[in-house]
Amino acid sequence: MTVGTHARRVRTHVTGAASTAVRPVLEASRRPARVLAAFPAGIYLEVRTELEPSVIAVVTGLATRLPNSVLLAGALPRVTMGDEAFVGDGTVEVGGLILRARRWWDPSPPLGAVDPAALPPSSALARRGRPGLDGNDAVELLATSCASEWLLGAVTAAEKLVGLGPGLTPSGDDVLAGLLVTLRHLGAATGCQKAVDLAGWLGAAVTFDARTRTTPISATLLHCAARGEACPEVLAVLRGLAGRRPLEAALRRLRGLGHTSGADLAQGIAIGLETVRALGGRK
Amino acid sequence: MTLLDGPPHVIAAGAGLLADALAEQAAAVTGVTWRPPLAGTAGDLARVLADPRRQAANDLAVRRLTSARPHLTGVRRASEVLRQAEPTFLHAGPPITWERASGPMRGALVGAMLFEGYAHDEEEAVARLAGGEVRLEPCHQHAAVGPMAGVVSPSMWLYEVRDLEHGGTAYCSLNEGLGKVLRYGAYGAEVLDRLRWMDTVLGPVLSAAIELAGPIDLRNMIAQALQMGDELHNRNRAATSLMLRELAPAIADAAPGSASEVLRFIAGNDHFFLNAGMAAAKVSTDAARDIPGSSMVVAMARNGTDFGVQVSGLGGRWFTGPAGVPDGLYLGAYGPEDANPDIGDSTITETSGLGGFAMAAAPAIVRFVGGEVADAVAATRSMYEITLAEHPAYQIPGLGFRGTPTGIDVTLVARTGLLPVVNTGIAGKVAGTGQVGAGLVSPPVEAFTAALRALAENAADPSDP
Amino acid sequence: MSDAVFVRKGVYHDSVTLMRVSRALSELPGTEVAVVAMATELNLGLARDLGFELPAADPGDLLVALRGPDTATAAQELDRHLAALSAAGPGQETEQPPLTTRSAARRGGDLALVSVPGEHAFAEAMDAIESGLPVMIFSDGMPAERERLLKERADERGVLVMGPDCGTAVVGGVGLGFANVLRPGPVGLVAASGTGAQQVSCLLDQAGVGVSHVLGVGGRDLSAEVGGLSTVRALRMLDEDPATELIVLVSKPPDPEVAGRVRKVVESLRTPVVEALLGSGADLTAAAEDALRALGRPVPDWLSWDGSRPDGVRGPLVGIYSGGTLCSEAALIAGTGEFTDYGDDAYTRGRAHPMIDPTLRLEALRETPPGAVVLLDVVLGHAADPDPAAALAPAIAARHATVVVALIGTEADPQDLRRQAETLRDAGAAVFTSNARAARHAASIHRGNQS
Repeated sequence: MTVGTHARRVRTHVTGAASTAVRPVLEASRRPARVLAAFPAGIYLEVRTELEPSVIAVVTGLATRLPNSVLLAGALPRVTMGDEAFVGDGTVEVGGLILRARRWWDPSPPLGAVDPAALPPSSALARRGRPGLDGNDAVELLATSCASEWLLGAVTAAEKLVGLGPGLTPSGDDVLAGLLVTLRHLGAATGCQKAVDLAGWLGAAVTFDARTRTTPISATLLHCAARGEACPEVLAVLRGLAGRRPLEAALRRLRGLGHTSGADLAQGIAIGLETVRALGGRK
Repeated sequence: MTLLDGPPHVIAAGAGLLADALAEQAAAVTGVTWRPPLAGTAGDLARVLADPRRQAANDLAVRRLTSARPHLTGVRRASEVLRQAEPTFLHAGPPITWERASGPMRGALVGAMLFEGYAHDEEEAVARLAGGEVRLEPCHQHAAVGPMAGVVSPSMWLYEVRDLEHGGTAYCSLNEGLGKVLRYGAYGAEVLDRLRWMDTVLGPVLSAAIELAGPIDLRNMIAQALQMGDELHNRNRAATSLMLRELAPAIADAAPGSASEVLRFIAGNDHFFLNAGMAAAKVSTDAARDIPGSSMVVAMARNGTDFGVQVSGLGGRWFTGPAGVPDGLYLGAYGPEDANPDIGDSTITETSGLGGFAMAAAPAIVRFVGGEVADAVAATRSMYEITLAEHPAYQIPGLGFRGTPTGIDVTLVARTGLLPVVNTGIAGKVAGTGQVGAGLVSPPVEAFTAALRALAENAADPSDP
Repeated sequence: MSDAVFVRKGVYHDSVTLMRVSRALSELPGTEVAVVAMATELNLGLARDLGFELPAADPGDLLVALRGPDTATAAQELDRHLAALSAAGPGQETEQPPLTTRSAARRGGDLALVSVPGEHAFAEAMDAIESGLPVMIFSDGMPAERERLLKERADERGVLVMGPDCGTAVVGGVGLGFANVLRPGPVGLVAASGTGAQQVSCLLDQAGVGVSHVLGVGGRDLSAEVGGLSTVRALRMLDEDPATELIVLVSKPPDPEVAGRVRKVVESLRTPVVEALLGSGADLTAAAEDALRALGRPVPDWLSWDGSRPDGVRGPLVGIYSGGTLCSEAALIAGTGEFTDYGDDAYTRGRAHPMIDPTLRLEALRETPPGAVVLLDVVLGHAADPDPAAALAPAIAARHATVVVALIGTEADPQDLRRQAETLRDAGAAVFTSNARAARHAASIHRGNQS
């Protein structure tokens, strides 16, 4: 006997690639999830889990490969907000698709050793694009506190910034994400433990209650950033700062992200860069 | 980006299974629609591709071809240009004897005999030609080209085109118009009368006019004509108009008495520019000749019996195969059974990236050569697969101003099995008939495989002690 | 019963694709024999051996030879398959598909993967190098002097040549050829052997250690003729790569002079290198364990599944392999027995690799004498048989023999490592994820039998 009113849907098996950040959630036992938002190039799924990332982006090749994303080899299914989905046992099930990863990428690849003396000044980052929080006091406080190793100031500023601004990923979160990733990677690459420690403190402070302070998507991205996980556009700028690839082209691509997201991330990266330059000098 | 920086975009040639496995990983893949090369060419291809000179030689060859700056500098009588001790006629295509010559070639040769007064009638002309009293030599051997039969006799006038970039000079006869004309093998009284008028009026007037007007930039004119819907082989309407615009004042100044008949003659012939364009193509391809190791084609030409090609790295050698019968539309009651095999040096246009290679520029004539606009676009696009470069000046608006596919590489022809797309007029096979149609023709594959074999024999192979 | 033979001019598909079509047609009720293949000398010969009368054909033509009571249905079915294959292009009717690697490279790309028939691979690889692109040559059968030439030309352009006969690579996380789904991590492999690299990287993955890249160099790279050009370049590339913390070099017995040159390069690198020299007694499992120790990581007990063992078996030790390096490793460890590598050129001419098509190995398994100890490998990953156990398990269960399987793969592979292992175990096989351990196990049973 069958119960239920839904017509049985045809399930299509598809494959793709996934960030290793989502591997624990994908490989845990199957859990319900729901569609948070659906765009032409990406679907955001909120998974009922304590693990992070708790929001998974299912994207096509046209979308930014966020650190919490699964890249689909084919076309996205048609879904609407609130649709049910499942994640776990190695698959993402959404809109009639059963998606499995056939490739994994590392959203936090090491930068390798970098000579701190060779780092460019943060002015190299600040040429084009206007960040959403240009001239904001909390951003100023964040920058000066980080560079002067004033932890209380930095945490105070960071807490003000969480969830600040409009949109799916508020500007304040993007600035923090850019900063956290930069402190972690440039800190490790230049052997500046103080920067890495600062990333740890700040990361703990902003992720502690992020789920209640900002959008679920942005909260998940803050969790990723605290672990040093970022999209390829951010990682490319860090490689540019490390002198491993042309910086200008990488910056152009980063600034192309979202409405102000790219510029906001760049602002966070600039603060991180200044901090590493300042702290690296004081052993 | 260095290879190891991120997921690579993979070009996959071969087993579909491996390309599928990449797609399943959501990796960027470009699949190559690979096919085996032409039968029997694998060994020669490997030797030619291994030749350490090839890439640099081809780069140089195609750079010279595409950087040539052909200018029309004069119109001269053939007797002045080709100072031959004994009676000599030039003809289209690779070398040919009277015995092997096709109907239109024989007709044109007979016409030239009568025109020059070497014979009083057709019978005498045939007897003298069969007796070898006139030397027959390819136009290409004398830095010249001629459309269809391409017969040039001492009293004909030639365009003189100089390449101001590399200094070469090339020649081509003047266009007689359409219908019953010598180049299609007709030699009746009207044909001979017209030739006499061209010798006494048209040639001298044009010569004087160009002297007055100064060199005319043909590269520029061809580039403009492509953007006005010509492909410069079967459609020359725009180029003819441009040339007429350039020449008319000088013609009026130089010869006020005969200006109107000369201008009317030019205006009445949409193909008047063709011959100047062919000389421009010839001088450009000649700039790319004799580069050791280059596998680029510098001439394709037909004499009505054989289709021949010459290759930059192989000097003046001809590689031939039987000329095919074009596929196209016929005039009036004529049909394929009336058609002569492919004839003429006008394939020099395709050799230089025009004609069939620029079909996408000329949607107006796609019906004429039997197809839709999409076929024309497809024809041009397919030619990028066998050419070395895109012409920097000759561009096609409909393809986003992409340069025309230029510089046929013999190795790419063998690898892809794609033969050059050639637009052509069709001559009647019976001597004296004239033009019966126009269409597309495929060159014989053996001409290219033979050239490849010769390149392989000449290859400097470092791995072969 | 009738024969239908025809030739399609100018229709080309690769051999693996056509073999699938042939198989689909021969499974039709009205068809007994179906040969759909390019009309190469080899394929014409095979069709003639089957008793078909053949018309003249070029290697560039498609040969179709059908036999059975209803060849018309098969012919229709063929048209359907071919139409589906031609329609597979990504909807670019007006776009000219690239016909050469050179043409594709003009449209952009980072790496070329060449798997055309061996005699034509040189042209495609040369295209890649002249376009400034690294190339992986999956094809085999290229003369050594051509390989040398390609690698010299690649050195001038500063690009890497992987292969020829390079079965596997992982670049930037993307698996090329027969590659496993590996987690990203700190170990970079430079490998002269495809299955060797697969064994090492799969064991590392099992130990929770990922790889940065797997760069194949081709089995002949360290010979005097080729001179180790790709090995040296690959080592330097990994040394420059920030994601690579440890390099594992899987090499075949090198030419002494070349070995000296490579050693100098290894000593000049900042990144530590663990070397696994095949054929010298060091096995692949030991290499993976050395790498783990070098990273300070624990060596796990490599996964295995016990099989049942028929009583009173008494027979020879037979190795039925698809991976060349795995085969020679097992033969060396066992020290006795008859080992065959069905992935060798001699068995793959005109048919798909045994990792894709199990036919030859299934035949070999059926022909093993009763009571034999059979050792075989099953290699999982991209492009390999989507469910190898489905065909092998019944064949194993049907033999009165002790069967030991070396199962090379990761838990993330498309075939599902555990399900494959359990199916094979349920058929009676003992399954090991370490080939060396599988070989030792088989040899000890065989010795036990003998005593």
